[in-house]
Amino acid sequence: MTTPTTPSLTERYVHAATRTAPEAQRDELARELRERIGDAIDARLAAGDGSSAGDAEVAALTELGDPERLAAGYLDRPLQLIGPRYYLDWLRLLKLLAAIVVPIATGAVILARLISGGTAGEAIVDGLSTGLAVAVHLAFWVTLVFAIIERTSRTAPLTTWTPADLPELPAPRQVGLGDLIASIVFLVLFVVALVWQHFTVQFPGSETTPVLNPELWSFWLPYLIGVAAVEVVFVSFLYRNGHWNFGFAAVNVVLNAAFAIPVIWLAATGQLLNPGFFELVGWPEGDDPGGIVSTVVISGAVLIAAWDSIDGILKAWRARRGEFGRSC
Amino acid sequence: MSTDDTTTGHLQELRRGTVVLGCLVRLREPDYGYALLESLNGLGITVDANTLYPLLRRLEKQGLLTSEWNTDEARPRKFYRTSPAGEQLAGVLTADWKNIDRALTRLTSGDER
Repeated sequence: MTTPTTPSLTERYVHAATRTAPEAQRDELARELRERIGDAIDARLAAGDGSSAGDAEVAALTELGDPERLAAGYLDRPLQLIGPRYYLDWLRLLKLLAAIVVPIATGAVILARLISGGTAGEAIVDGLSTGLAVAVHLAFWVTLVFAIIERTSRTAPLTTWTPADLPELPAPRQVGLGDLIASIVFLVLFVVALVWQHFTVQFPGSETTPVLNPELWSFWLPYLIGVAAVEVVFVSFLYRNGHWNFGFAAVNVVLNAAFAIPVIWLAATGQLLNPGFFELVGWPEGDDPGGIVSTVVISGAVLIAAWDSIDGILKAWRARRGEFGRSC
Repeated sequence: MSTDDTTTGHLQELRRGTVVLGCLVRLREPDYGYALLESLNGLGITVDANTLYPLLRRLEKQGLLTSEWNTDEARPRKFYRTSPAGEQLAGVLTADWKNIDRALTRLTSGDER
């Protein structure tokens, strides 16, 4: 039996490991640890590698490791905030609450602020900061409750999984996100091009010269931009539905007609293009109703409208035949 | 290197349950933690102090071991002894161990019946 030269180190370790133990187990645990540390020190000294009692004590305590980790092992305490038993319950509840409560709180504050006469900016700032505060509170309190359950309960997970809980397979889509994005990008580019041709084309020594007849801004160009906006709404609804049907195909035909017929008529009657532009280019007859430019515009409009209309009808027909799971 | 780590991990898993059986059989004669650690390792049932001491506590809590403090020497030591319940469990575990051994022997000798 060797008395360590610095007994305080062992005592400090025992104190650190036992101070959080339940009162009833504390003395027993302390005695066990003293025995274990003492035996470990003796074994090191008996091995006779020439180290002092102090070195042996330090080495023995180092091998024991963090006293709180050691105590957790002795007392069967979890070393995680929320363990595998409750983790999925915690995660699902948190997601569910966040998806329901945060948007409602945010929306309610925005609405209340607008009703009480705040500006839209104030309403949004207030709504978002409330949403953030609600999200932080939710996460904290839910996690706190689960951490307490983790430490007090010895039962199985809160919910039992059965095969009935399996999610449905996602319905195969006929209209993907790629279609939606491509359509919207095309429509936005079209509107940008309409505005751009009016303000940007410029020749040396002249003012900006629109390619299209500037008088069309009084009605027909805003009308075409309006049709493009309706198209954006249409493709969004189509994407939400996921499938074509004959209703969508009919609306698609109407939209194509609403776009193509005015364009064809304007081109055929010589109202579409700006004569001034073609004079500057040095091609004065370029805007002639029967000229090559008008012919290209008219045939292009006819082809695109016809192809897109027929494409919609074919896709509706295929969806009806059930090639994409649900027929609509 | 990583192959060695894998081997070490699997060996640990294979031996985990045998430590319990080793303790239950060895503690038919009462003994204290460090002496048990030495004798098990001496027998080739390798076990780490950080595994053995909490394990003794757990087995005692489950009623498989009983304990008594021996204060004859300057350092009080907790002596563990296998309880009747522990003896019964040791019998079950030993029988199962032999079953597994027979099964593995048949498997490796190719005499699968």
